[in-house]
Amino acid sequence: MPDLLPVPAIVLTHLEHWYGEDSLKRPVLRDLNLTVEAGKTTFLMGPSGCGKTTLLTLIGALRSVMAGSVVVLGQELKGASEAVMVQSRRRAGFVFQHHNLHRSLTVLQNVRMGLEVRGESGRADTRERCMEVLEAVGLAEHADKRQDQISGGQKQRAAVARALVGRPELLLADEPTAALDSKTGRDVMELMQRLAAERRMTVLMVTHDNRILDIADRIVEMEDGRILPSGQAHSGPNRISEKA
Amino acid sequence: MLSGRTPLGWLQLTHSTSRFVVASAGVGFAVMLVFMQLGFMNMLFDATVTIHKKFFADLVVMSGSAKGIVPDSGSFSRRRLVQAAGVDGVAGFAEVYIGTLSWTKPSDGTVGQIVVFGVPTDQRVFNDPDLDAKMPSLRVLNSFLVDEGSRGDFTTFFGKIKAGDQPTVKLGGQTATAVGTFKFGASFGTEAIAIVSTETFLHLVPTRPAGVINMGLITVSPGVDAQGLADTITAVMGPTEVKVWTMSGFIGLTRDILRVESPIAIVFSFGVIVGLFVGAVIVVQILSSDVQDHLSEYATFKAIGFSNRFLLGIVLEQSAILTLAGYFPALLISLGLYRVVGAAVSMSMSMTFDRIALVFGLTAVMCAVAGSIAMRRIYSADPAEVF
Repeated sequence: MPDLLPVPAIVLTHLEHWYGEDSLKRPVLRDLNLTVEAGKTTFLMGPSGCGKTTLLTLIGALRSVMAGSVVVLGQELKGASEAVMVQSRRRAGFVFQHHNLHRSLTVLQNVRMGLEVRGESGRADTRERCMEVLEAVGLAEHADKRQDQISGGQKQRAAVARALVGRPELLLADEPTAALDSKTGRDVMELMQRLAAERRMTVLMVTHDNRILDIADRIVEMEDGRILPSGQAHSGPNRISEKA
Repeated sequence: MLSGRTPLGWLQLTHSTSRFVVASAGVGFAVMLVFMQLGFMNMLFDATVTIHKKFFADLVVMSGSAKGIVPDSGSFSRRRLVQAAGVDGVAGFAEVYIGTLSWTKPSDGTVGQIVVFGVPTDQRVFNDPDLDAKMPSLRVLNSFLVDEGSRGDFTTFFGKIKAGDQPTVKLGGQTATAVGTFKFGASFGTEAIAIVSTETFLHLVPTRPAGVINMGLITVSPGVDAQGLADTITAVMGPTEVKVWTMSGFIGLTRDILRVESPIAIVFSFGVIVGLFVGAVIVVQILSSDVQDHLSEYATFKAIGFSNRFLLGIVLEQSAILTLAGYFPALLISLGLYRVVGAAVSMSMSMTFDRIALVFGLTAVMCAVAGSIAMRRIYSADPAEVF
């Protein structure tokens, strides 16, 4: 019975993507197929230039789908209107490589933008909700500081708080620990994983960081615009030693 | 905060106080430029019609080609005035001769131009009771009253007059005696003004035949509608070389002619446009560089699901704030400058509510237009760039 099967959060079928036109056309994704299960943490790995970030931006509705199908949380993004794209972005939380906090805003105001984008910032419990998330990422006492007054790890944690405050069903992250030292990176990752698990969120994360692979439920490897068959992909921490 | 909206425009602008001050000063500079141009232009208009208001009359009869109360306003026969005054409802009338003479300026002895009004001394011609009271002193031939607002340093000369001396000057080639002063105030066109009796005028200007006048003043009997009487007189006289206006109608006509024909008005209108253009360029520069500065932050906002409209709102909010922050200080400074300039050229430079509202509207439109130009950059904030 189909009802009992796990619901996929992301379904990609025959996805193609390229940059440039005509003779300069450079394919980035070739006939890519992938299903990401809901409520699980999936890592996307692969050499640089293999199309990971392009894939993530397509799933995040930050780029238009050229060919093939991208269904995110039940919404087909191929040929989607600007309004649908904007709506899709609101259903996902984003954590970027750089924190991308707004420099004119305090930590609390930045987090609040995550609620404002969903039209939920006018409610009485707005501050409470923001503080709750800031508490969870350990930034409660820094709520009124600006981004230039806190450390790199704190900034990335503030960015995580901004992504999570609206309780999205899906969290997309692109090497969120790349700019952090290993200890701080690990802390941020564990924090994201814990909060995602508590909220039963689907997490799709691009990472190069071999030290944190044990956190993933599943690891998907990409190469040259394709997903490697799962037989060739190694899942779990045993892969680390091979690569290291 | 409106429905929980973060005032991002305000927060971004005030994030750097120095930049905010510079931006507001830029807008304020444009506002001041526009205020000053409008002020100069209206000072010209006001100064030109100041003289209209000095005459004691409800209706004014002038040559049909008259463009104001000026020496070259055209002349006509006194009989026309008498004919007009014969209509029921006219309480009184007076004829006025206007001419330009050269005179030896008592300030430095050089020769200048002076506008001379020749008026009857046995009738009320001027509104100002002080001036009216001085009229009998003009009955002595070749005596004149001189305007204290005449341009030049006449302090000693006026001092002598006030002390009771009767200094003489060369006026139209003859020796004339200054018997008193009055206050009209200089205008753009005239340097100095003198008032003499009809007899003195005809004596000083021998080429002018008696009975060829430049202006007729008519007062209306109590309870008679001035506009209605003007229409009746026009109908009674039939087609003729003169026209009858109410004094307020003639003031309006003079202003309109100036606005359309005078090169000075065109120069100042152009100044207003230049001021607005310079202001718009400054605001576009400020807002564009601000948008450029925040492009990555805007891209982030787009990536987390904010629409272009939300970002446009930020820029419009900044436009509105710059409008307010630039406009009001500039209004205060302009009011101060109006006083300073007005005093320097002995003309009144007055601020009207209409102008305050007009310039505010222009500023708001200018900032909004500048904002929308800057906004185009927002569309280029690619949300995919933040990954």
